Amino acid sequence: MAIYVLRKLAFFVGAVFVASLAIFLLIRAAGGNVAAIVLGKDATAEAINALAHTYGLDKPLPVQYFDWLFGMLQGQLGQSFRTKEFVADLVTDRLSISIPLALSGLILGLIIAIPVGTYAARNVGKPSGAVLALLSQIGIAVPVFWAGILLSVLFGVRLGWLPTGGWIDWSESPIGAIRSLVLPVLSLGLIMGSVLIRYVRSAVLDVMNQDYVRTARAVGMTRTQALLSVGLRNAALPIVTIVGLQIAELIGGTVIIEMVFSLPGLSRMILANVAAREVIVVQSTVMLIIIFVIFVNFVVDLLYGILDPRIRNAA
Amino acid sequence: MTIAAPTVIIEPKRRRRLDLNASLVVGLVLTVGFLAVALVSFVWLPSNPNIPVIKNRMLPPFLPDHWLGTDGLGRDIIAQLMVGARTSILVGAGGASIALILGTITGLVAAAYGKIADETISRGADIMLSIPGMVTALVLAATMGSGALTTILALSAFFTPSFTRVIRAAALGVLQEDFITSAKLYGRGKLFILARHVIPNIGGVMIVQFTLYFAAGILTEAGLSYLGVGVTRPSISWGMMLNEAQQTVGISSPLAIWPGLAIVFVVLGLNLLGDGLRDVLDPKLKRRSA
Repeated sequence: MAIYVLRKLAFFVGAVFVASLAIFLLIRAAGGNVAAIVLGKDATAEAINALAHTYGLDKPLPVQYFDWLFGMLQGQLGQSFRTKEFVADLVTDRLSISIPLALSGLILGLIIAIPVGTYAARNVGKPSGAVLALLSQIGIAVPVFWAGILLSVLFGVRLGWLPTGGWIDWSESPIGAIRSLVLPVLSLGLIMGSVLIRYVRSAVLDVMNQDYVRTARAVGMTRTQALLSVGLRNAALPIVTIVGLQIAELIGGTVIIEMVFSLPGLSRMILANVAAREVIVVQSTVMLIIIFVIFVNFVVDLLYGILDPRIRNAA
Repeated sequence: MTIAAPTVIIEPKRRRRLDLNASLVVGLVLTVGFLAVALVSFVWLPSNPNIPVIKNRMLPPFLPDHWLGTDGLGRDIIAQLMVGARTSILVGAGGASIALILGTITGLVAAAYGKIADETISRGADIMLSIPGMVTALVLAATMGSGALTTILALSAFFTPSFTRVIRAAALGVLQEDFITSAKLYGRGKLFILARHVIPNIGGVMIVQFTLYFAAGILTEAGLSYLGVGVTRPSISWGMMLNEAQQTVGISSPLAIWPGLAIVFVVLGLNLLGDGLRDVLDPKLKRRSA
């Protein structure tokens, strides 16, 4: 087990390092004198140099990279050139929107996918199973932002039950905040659910053909009892892994859904700062998201190793 | 009894084979229709999709001159959808093609050139797979400027690692076959074996993977263009049309329906085609998903 954990830890560190290098190069590759762009046309040369010096933008790129990397390791994410706000504060402000949105979307997706996927697996070969498989295929083909647009047309414009977009902060009105999140969460959850149904279905199908289910049936359990008592626990393993892999997908969906419903979450902040050439803010925020995704996958790998001895011994 | 038993076994089998064909046929019909629309758009369009005609603003659908009506600037919807099909093919197929080429090279190297190459490439692919594509694409588009080329590059970067994984696994399977051993004993070089024996045997996997990622590319392109960081006018993208529908006329409009339907039909068609092809081209592979 120790070797397995060490291997996964090494992968985690390596992945974070490679990703940080990629993000840094990607953002800096656009080139240009960042300080000059930030200060605008009328800035004097002295002011530009002063700003560049303050933020270390005049140092060679490798030095800037390591300064940034070690800063992040010490919890210093940097600050905005213009507003002087700290990246950490900027990000935490936005998380009160993005985290509830992403998390509820994922949970709704699972609430849809686990029963429906199990049902589809139990009825494989029957018309009801085929219909569910087709529905999930259609759900996968629907772009998440189109689902959002359609839902806001239906519930926002036609029926007028919920806001079509915009945000009321939790501190102002918790109910208002929840109301602004209902349609975004619904769009995200429906699409995540369709994607997950396929995985749940194939995981349950696999499990249903295993010897231990047959044994459970042989000792007198019904198909449903066997599935619930031994089947779902075993099917949970691949489902946990898929959820880990879908985290990146989930964040992509959250980004786009925030735009559909004009929610001032993380993605709007990133886009605004990209446009303003706030390279430090963008770099650090994107990196935080990536570290989060890699970390979730790391935890999922560990869980998987703990739950299933075959995995950690094979690795 | 002895007669009844075999018919019971054969019956579900025959029905399943019919299912597979349905997936393939429906997928093929939708995909061919999609490609045909894009081809026709080069020789015939109902009207210029980029020139505003103010007197024709917001015409309802089902008119003789504008079958699906016009948008907020009087541009014909059908013409825009037809040109949008071109963009979907250019970007979706472009991204998937580059990923296929890069993925085949890296996958084959990982499978055939020893443990160090394998570990490096496989772990590299794992790392790339854990980077959220949409966020990085936003940054990429914003720094490099938006456009079809940027979008194709972003897609190929995100798709390559999955191609690498799938092709590596398929090639490893082929490399264990007896005919590879005999080719080696015959004195064939690695490159010859890969080109002459491995690639033809993993062709089915490559085609299936390409089809499925063609679809994924279309979805991602639509998303990026919706966000305004993908394709821009005078090119037309279905995602861009949805963005315009939401912005110009509020969102209570049939304008928001057509481009979305187009995306769903095409992506569904390609996914069904991919699944159908998988069953036809690779009968050994267990059918795991719908």
